[in-house]
Amino acid sequence: MAGTRRAQTFAEVLRVLPTASSAGVYWRARAAMLPSIDDLDAFQAAFLEFFGAIDDADALRRLVRTVDAPPRPAPNAPKRETIPPPPSDRPAGPELADKAPILWIAASSQDRLSDKAFEDLDEAERAAMMRLIERVRTAAELRASRRRRADQHGDRFDFRRTLQSAARTAGELARRRTTRRRLRLRPVAFVLDVSGSMTPFARALVQYARVTAAARPAVSAFAFATRLTDLTPLLKRAGDDRLMSAIAQTVRDYGGGTRIGAALRTFNDRYAVRGAARGGTVVILSDGWEREDPALVGAEMARLRRLTRRIVWVNPHKRHAAYEPLARGMAAALPYLDAFLSGHNLRTLEAVADAIEGRLG
Amino acid sequence: MPQPVDVDDLRQGLLGVGYVADAGLATALACGVSLGRAILLEGDAGVGKTDAARALAAVFGAQLLRLQCYEGLDLAAAAYDWNYGKQLLAIRTAEASERPGADEARRIPDLYGDEFLIRRPLLAALGATRERGIVLLIDEIDRADDEFEAFLLEFLADFAISIPERGTIAATHPPIVVLTSNRTRDLHDALKRRCFYHWIGHPTVEREIEIIRLHLPDVAPELAGDVARAAANLRERGLRKAPGIAESLDWTQTLGLLGARRLETEVFEPSLGSVLKYPEDIDLARASAAAIVAAARGPSTGSG
Repeated sequence: MAGTRRAQTFAEVLRVLPTASSAGVYWRARAAMLPSIDDLDAFQAAFLEFFGAIDDADALRRLVRTVDAPPRPAPNAPKRETIPPPPSDRPAGPELADKAPILWIAASSQDRLSDKAFEDLDEAERAAMMRLIERVRTAAELRASRRRRADQHGDRFDFRRTLQSAARTAGELARRRTTRRRLRLRPVAFVLDVSGSMTPFARALVQYARVTAAARPAVSAFAFATRLTDLTPLLKRAGDDRLMSAIAQTVRDYGGGTRIGAALRTFNDRYAVRGAARGGTVVILSDGWEREDPALVGAEMARLRRLTRRIVWVNPHKRHAAYEPLARGMAAALPYLDAFLSGHNLRTLEAVADAIEGRLG
Repeated sequence: MPQPVDVDDLRQGLLGVGYVADAGLATALACGVSLGRAILLEGDAGVGKTDAARALAAVFGAQLLRLQCYEGLDLAAAAYDWNYGKQLLAIRTAEASERPGADEARRIPDLYGDEFLIRRPLLAALGATRERGIVLLIDEIDRADDEFEAFLLEFLADFAISIPERGTIAATHPPIVVLTSNRTRDLHDALKRRCFYHWIGHPTVEREIEIIRLHLPDVAPELAGDVARAAANLRERGLRKAPGIAESLDWTQTLGLLGARRLETEVFEPSLGSVLKYPEDIDLARASAAAIVAAARGPSTGSG
């Protein structure tokens, strides 16, 4: 975390502001080398390891503990979950499919796979499906930014450029220059229930989130069962394996059952209010089976409603003709939705892309 | 070159102008000032980030320039702009007084002289002198967009602004720069690397009492203690928005207006609106009103 440049800064500080006390060294080191409050634990460990070898280690430990009691971040400060490395015993299936040419997949299996539910796929088909999802249209919705750029047919007069060009024409205001608002992408956040029967559908949507994140900025993704994990850092960096094992970890760590309300609350508190969803679309995948009080689901959905522009709920059970939203969490969430889709296969996934842009009621 | 500032001296100085800084904050500020580097202050809303910059300016007798960030903040609003009306007028005047046969180059006045330049906070911050320094407060940098952050990198590295029509304007005496962020988004590492960093947490009860009494000297000492303990208690309850020092001060003032000398159950509920800003939080506090009031009054009535 601390690069050489930060260490140099620290050395400079000690030269300019020398100190004899351990606390003095600690605070100087922290001001110079701590990049973010999220890294405090790592910083303290490194500090103790290094200075513990020189100084009285116990005394230092006491110092770090006492000195740092008050200025810790509030419990709702965002903290990235650390994701363990992928297990080495991954199944052999996907590798085979990886080598299959894309065109071949497209020609022979797209039709067959388009209507097959994600949960009914076998290993090879799933790998093929992951490739197919890469070709689903990327959802992108624009809004006008406050920032402006030069545009010949803009809607606001640009004094500065007009006068600059006037200098070239001997002070004659010959050409009218204008600016126009820049366009920006509205954010999209995927909040995916990965517990039990939702896993195959979550995999498909995570893949879609990855494809979207590769094509445009402002995409985030989260997995939840009983707690919420931020997958966003993995969306752009990691391959399929790391993401999937992160999802598996989310389920393993936090045991069975689903706490939709609690997960939504964490999402709202930590991410939605900070901009992951403001003015954009949130895609929630869940069957709506809430283990705890469904009233919390309703309350958090109401909050989310106020924070976002659009909420899309994906519930694979909806594909059955006889489906009724009997799950209490689902019933509580219904009044706040802009779109309620099944998203259970490739064809309906395209509908999700439309719904993100508000093209489906 | 900036002069080294002793950490304890700075802390005393800040206290002298009514700002209570802990050792961590004082160190970060002293480092920034001594090394001529920007200071990045993060923390929840209302913990005194902006006030820290204000106090710093007061300690050094410097002028405080504040730049409030928002999305779409551009150079015309942050660094400099040209006075177009004046420029146009200059062109017209030159035309009117034009004599036939005059030198072609002299017909057009210099439109980019000092008199046409409007100095916004960033450019103005480069104008510090030996006698009077400048503290530049770039407030809520997380609200600005990436483009502005990128521009700031350049500014913080050289304390200079290049104006295409004029060339580069550099500071002879670099300003003290304080950036604040509410963490609505993560800042770029490149920006953080150029700053000393400090997270301002919620204060301890003792420190909060000190702050309240410093800011509101007319308030009964017991009330200050009650509010500080009640605020500490509220912060442990997992609220949507835990009260900051700003809220504690508001609360104390409100209670003072209500004529309270201690935090009583009767004034607790009516005054909650000054400290909690979400209906859900207020409901939660109401439900445990008795417990909070008891905790607030605990140490002085019991053995605590």
